[in-house]
Amino acid sequence: MSIEIRDLNKRFGATVVCDKLNLDIPAGELVALLGPSGSGKTTLLRIIAGLEVPDSGTVLFHGEDATHTDVRDRQVGFVFQHYALFAHMTIFENVAFGLRVRPKATRPGEKEIRAKVTELLKLVQLDWIADRYPHQLSGGQRQRIALARALAVKPKVLLLDEPFGALDAKVRKELRRWLRRLHDEMHVTSVFVTHDQEEAMEVADRIVVMNEGRIEQQGTPDEVYDHPASPFVLQFLGDVNLFHGRFGHGPGGKDGEVSYVRPHELEIVDTAEEGAVAAVLSQALTVGPNTRLELRRADDAGYVDVEMPRAEYLALRERLGLMPGSAVHLRPRRVTRFTEDLPDPAAMI
Amino acid sequence: MSASVATLPLPKAAGVAPRSIRSATTEPAWVKWTLVGIALAFLTFFLFVPLAVVFVEALKKGWDVYLAAIVEPDARSAIQLTLIAAAISVPLNLVFGIAAAWCIAKFEFRGKNLLLTLIDLPFSVSPVIAGLIYVLVFGLQGWFGPWLQAHDLKVIFAVPGIVLATVFITFPFVARELIPPMQAQGTEQEEAARVLGAGGWQIFWRVTLPNVKWALLYGVILCNARAMGEFGAVSVVSGHIRGQTNTMPLHIEILYNEYQFAAAFAVASLLAGLALVTLVLKYWVEQRMKKEAR
Repeated sequence: MSIEIRDLNKRFGATVVCDKLNLDIPAGELVALLGPSGSGKTTLLRIIAGLEVPDSGTVLFHGEDATHTDVRDRQVGFVFQHYALFAHMTIFENVAFGLRVRPKATRPGEKEIRAKVTELLKLVQLDWIADRYPHQLSGGQRQRIALARALAVKPKVLLLDEPFGALDAKVRKELRRWLRRLHDEMHVTSVFVTHDQEEAMEVADRIVVMNEGRIEQQGTPDEVYDHPASPFVLQFLGDVNLFHGRFGHGPGGKDGEVSYVRPHELEIVDTAEEGAVAAVLSQALTVGPNTRLELRRADDAGYVDVEMPRAEYLALRERLGLMPGSAVHLRPRRVTRFTEDLPDPAAMI
Repeated sequence: MSASVATLPLPKAAGVAPRSIRSATTEPAWVKWTLVGIALAFLTFFLFVPLAVVFVEALKKGWDVYLAAIVEPDARSAIQLTLIAAAISVPLNLVFGIAAAWCIAKFEFRGKNLLLTLIDLPFSVSPVIAGLIYVLVFGLQGWFGPWLQAHDLKVIFAVPGIVLATVFITFPFVARELIPPMQAQGTEQEEAARVLGAGGWQIFWRVTLPNVKWALLYGVILCNARAMGEFGAVSVVSGHIRGQTNTMPLHIEILYNEYQFAAAFAVASLLAGLALVTLVLKYWVEQRMKKEAR
C-alpha cells in the first residue's frame, strides 16, 4: 500500500515540527526517515500511524484520504523504540493480542490463533520462548517480539520508530540485516525512523533526510550521499572538511562559496600545485583498516581531516618521510560547493 | 593485553589489614547497633506493648466476657454498620480512584494539578472538619436541611451521613496508590494496544488494569482499613445513637467512657486484628509488586 503525504503541518505550541511536508512512499518500499533529534521525523511517523493528528494537510493510503481514519482502522503495524511489550502477558499472549481483541465476527478461533502466533514466533526465530515474560528477554529479543506482534494483524504498512535505538552496537547491526531480509521476503511498505545515517544507508531503499520539520532531500542512499541537495544533508551523512573561498580544481570555486571535501576524498601530495592547500601534519591515528590524519592548514591554522587505507598511508609515509610536523599539500579529488550563506557548521554537530 | 596486566604487581599497602577497608557508606558496628536498638525500643514502647495491652485487657475477664461483649446487640449493630460503611465506600472509591488516576496519568489537561490537590484534600483536612462539612450541608440548619426534612430523608445522624463521611475520608487511598505506577508506565503500551486494534475498554481491561493490579489491591487494602477505623469524621455525623448509628470505633469509645473496659477492649481487639490482617496482606502485596517490577 502506497503512502502519500500532502502539505502536512503540525506544531506543538510554538514549535513547528512538520512544515508543509510532501512525501510519496511507493508500495513495497523500505524507507528511512533520517534526521537529528527534533527534526520532526518521529512526529511524521506517528501522524502516518494515526497516533498524532496533523494541524492541516492530508495522509493518503493507497490514494484514499486516511487523515481522519482512526488508528484502529488504519491497519498499520507500529514498532516502538522501547518495545512497549505488555509487561504482564507472556510472549505468546503479546503476539496474540492483535488477534484476540478483534470483534467476535472476525476473531479467529483459538486453534488458528495458536497456529498464527507460532508461525510468527518462528519467523522471528523465538518460538522457544513463547511462555516467558518480556522482562526475561534481552533487548534484541524484545524488539523481535514487538515486530512479530505488529505483523500479527497483517498490517498494510509497517512503521518503526527508532527500532534499534535502544540496543547495543552489535545486536543493532544484526537486527538491521535481519530487518532488511525480512522486508525482502514480505514486501510490506515500511517506514522507519532513525538518526543513524549508517543504519539508513544500510537498510533503506530510499532515504528521506529531515531537518527542522522540513524534508531536505529524498532519494536512494547513493543519490543522497553522492549528490547532497544541501550542506545539511552533506554534513549529516558523514564527516566533511570545509574550505572557504577559492579552492580545488574544475569549474566553479568562486569567491563567496564554501567547498566541502570528505576526508577520504583528499589526497596528500608533496608539491604545491594549482588548487592544492598547504598544511602541516599534526597526527596520524589508525582506526581499523583506515588511517586518519589530522592536519592544520598553513594559511589559517584550521583543522583538516584526511582518511586513507592504512596500506596507502604506510607507502606515503615511506615515500615522503611523513611525521608530525611535516609540511604537505592537500589536493581534493572531489569537491561539493554551496554558496556562503550557510548555517555555521559547528552548530550542526 | 590481559597477560601484561596480570604481570603487573598488585598494589598492596603494607600493614593495612583488608578488614579495615570499608566502603564510604558503611558505619562502624556500634553505630549500627545503637540505631537499631533505639528503633526497636521505640517500636516496643509505642506499638508492640499497646497492641499487646489491647488483647490482654480484652481477655482479662475470660473468654465468656469477651464473647459476650462481641455478640451483644449494640456491638453487633456497630460491627454491621462498620461493614456496611466499608462495603459502600471501598467500591465507590475503587471506581473513583481508578478514574482519577487514569485521567491524571494518561492525559494532559488544564487543571490537572488542581485535581491532584483536591484528591489530597481529605489527607490535609482534619477529619472533624470533614464531618462538619456534611453537617453544614445536610444538617437541619444546613443548605439542604429543610428540603431533606420536607422529603423525610435523613442524612446526618443516620447511615447515609456515616457512609458519606467515610467516602470522603478514604477517597485518596486508591488514587494515590495508582497515580505513580500509571505515570511511570506512560502511554506506550496503550498506544501499542490501540494500533493493534483494541478499543477503549479492551485497552483498560487487558492492558492498563493488569499492569497496576497489585498497586490497586494495595490501595484497596489501605482504603478498607481506614474505612473501618475512621473515628473523627464519623463521630461528628453519627449522633452516637446506640444500636443505630454507632460504628465500631464509636462503640468502643462509648464502652470505655462507661468504664466497661473488658468490653471496650474486646471490640477494640477486633479492629486490632483487622489491622494485623491488613499488615500481612499489605506485606504480601508489596512482595508481589516487587516481584513484578523486576
